[in-house]
Amino acid sequence: MAERIVSDSGLSETQSRTLRVMLDAIIPADAGRGMPSAGELDLMGYVAEFAPEALDAIRADLDAAEDLAQKRLGIAFGGLSADDAIDLVNTSRATEPRFAQTLITQALGCYYQDDRVVTALGYPAGPPFPQGNTVEKGDLSLLEPVRKMGKIYRG
Amino acid sequence: MAEDIADILIIGAGASSAAAAWSLSDTRMRIVCLEQGDWMNPADYPSNRREWQVLRNVAYSQSPNVRKRDTDYPINEDDSAVSVANFNGVGGGTVLYSGHFPRFKPSDFRTRSLDGVGDDWPVDYYDLEPYFAQNDRNMGVSGLAGDPAIPYHEPPLPHIPIGKMGNAVARGFNKLGWHWWPSDAAIISEDYEGRGKCLNLGPCNSGCAQGAKSSVDIAYWPLNQRLGVELRTRCRVREITVDDNDMATGAIYFDENGVEQFQAAHVVIMACNGVGTPRLLLNSTSKRFPDGLANRSGLVGKNLMFHPWGHVEGFLDGNLDGHLGPQGTSLLSQQFYETDPSRDFVRGYTLQVTRGQAPLSLALQGVARGDIPLGKGHHEAFRKYLGNSVLFNICCEDLPEEINTVTLDPDLKDSSGIPAPKITYRLSENSQRMLAHGIRSATEALEAAGAFQVNSWGQNRHTGWHLMGTARMGKDPAKSVVNEWGRSHDVRNLFIIDGSIFVTAGAVNPTTTIQALALYIADNMKKNLANLFD
Repeated sequence: MAERIVSDSGLSETQSRTLRVMLDAIIPADAGRGMPSAGELDLMGYVAEFAPEALDAIRADLDAAEDLAQKRLGIAFGGLSADDAIDLVNTSRATEPRFAQTLITQALGCYYQDDRVVTALGYPAGPPFPQGNTVEKGDLSLLEPVRKMGKIYRG
Repeated sequence: MAEDIADILIIGAGASSAAAAWSLSDTRMRIVCLEQGDWMNPADYPSNRREWQVLRNVAYSQSPNVRKRDTDYPINEDDSAVSVANFNGVGGGTVLYSGHFPRFKPSDFRTRSLDGVGDDWPVDYYDLEPYFAQNDRNMGVSGLAGDPAIPYHEPPLPHIPIGKMGNAVARGFNKLGWHWWPSDAAIISEDYEGRGKCLNLGPCNSGCAQGAKSSVDIAYWPLNQRLGVELRTRCRVREITVDDNDMATGAIYFDENGVEQFQAAHVVIMACNGVGTPRLLLNSTSKRFPDGLANRSGLVGKNLMFHPWGHVEGFLDGNLDGHLGPQGTSLLSQQFYETDPSRDFVRGYTLQVTRGQAPLSLALQGVARGDIPLGKGHHEAFRKYLGNSVLFNICCEDLPEEINTVTLDPDLKDSSGIPAPKITYRLSENSQRMLAHGIRSATEALEAAGAFQVNSWGQNRHTGWHLMGTARMGKDPAKSVVNEWGRSHDVRNLFIIDGSIFVTAGAVNPTTTIQALALYIADNMKKNLANLFD
């Protein structure tokens, strides 16, 4: 019988523990760069808004990770250290590239569009419009040799 | 009650339609345009949201088969090496195009005479030159005069910024002694005609929230409406009708409520792009035209041309912010545009240098390739690549071949029950050799620019933006569908003005040439009004 879903994320308790450990493992925090871990962000809220069709595949990814941890290491994925968790993920993906694929894709989507992350990368938070971006006009003196080519078209 | 007859009925509200309607409006004739899609609202475009990088993936996908709006029609692409990109709405393909706006060159109109391939056009570059200039003013085009790869012209607005990334790439081209130039762009670099200038938002090809990209719903249609052109949206044409004298009488269409209507017209102009136009002609069968309207030559739907397209991505050191700026336009090289007998292919290609990858796509592809690890090392690797990517697009000239076709799918239909198009297309050996050369050239240029990593993506299937050749123009009715000013050889009050009538494909984005040709045809219609049907 399937485990009871315990939150509005649509995940069971085990799946929620697996998710938190998995997210902190695949994108760990980096205090020096001001980068949060993926687990600090609201992945399931992001999925609910932008990729609800991915929820079933994410559940399946989490269940597969839990099964693998139990089989290979004899403990729950949610009980793994960050080092053991990422080792398990990377070794599994080396032989099965689609392992946790949906979860990783959505985690990257959530992470690299988050205002905290974007700001830490040195770019303004929020949407492109209306603030826009500043782009250097370019050095047109570099065209000097091209101007000297003369006409290069036929006709 | 008098019958409702339009003087001119235009099917489709994209690039060519907008230009022709503008030109014809000064005749004061009654012009009606039927468009199957909606008006777009720039406030809905993804760049209004911080999650723009995912929001553009489905609703603003270039593929109608992914987008699946109720205003789209499906396309069977199972037998095609290239999948079709389009948009159905006011503005047509310009809603999602990048605004890269280089003109065809003089040699593009004379490939048979110069190189023994394809066919010569019945018009040449210099016939179209004043119409290119007029269209640049109408659209709002930015660029830099003096490019030695094209006859001299002066874009009305200063060029779009090429950025630090553009500088780096330019130095690479200079090392090799190759041509490069800031691209002409249908994007306004300064405030123009009541429109705000480009803010370098980035994702032009999911719609411009600022309205700085010159899609024709912004640049032409509001003016056209003020000039009296009647534009009806959500009107999907099923068939062009004809009488016993081989004259078009109007169009049967489904209105916004799905109710079948008939619009009578004295003149019908087709502007539905290189797939939509042959589809509609082939769907318009009658006793007089059992094989499709205006198809006595048998060439409707044949000679489909795309631009075979490849991608090479490079990463250059220097924190170049290469992902910022109008995505599809920075600079181009036309070093390999013209035929060189020493190469193993005829005709040539453009290297279109576009902005690099935004953070999310960079992360997804970097992780997939293994360049950016998961776990420790992720952040360091990500920063190595962020802002340092640049994309070379290899836009190859296609040549007309009758085996590349748009036909009607026997089973697939749109939501109105109208038979959908089927694409049959393969790359020629010449195209494959040209593309291989382009990939080597792009790699060489990136290495000359100091790239620390180059990834070649090869030929990309999802690049069918440019739809050409399926109702070609020419003087001989046995070898062409329309004459030298766009009038059907078979139906004297039927005109075609979109990319269907291209004889050859050039090796650049075709929109500016499509619009110049549409203005040229409209001008010829006006000059010949007294004997338009003779």
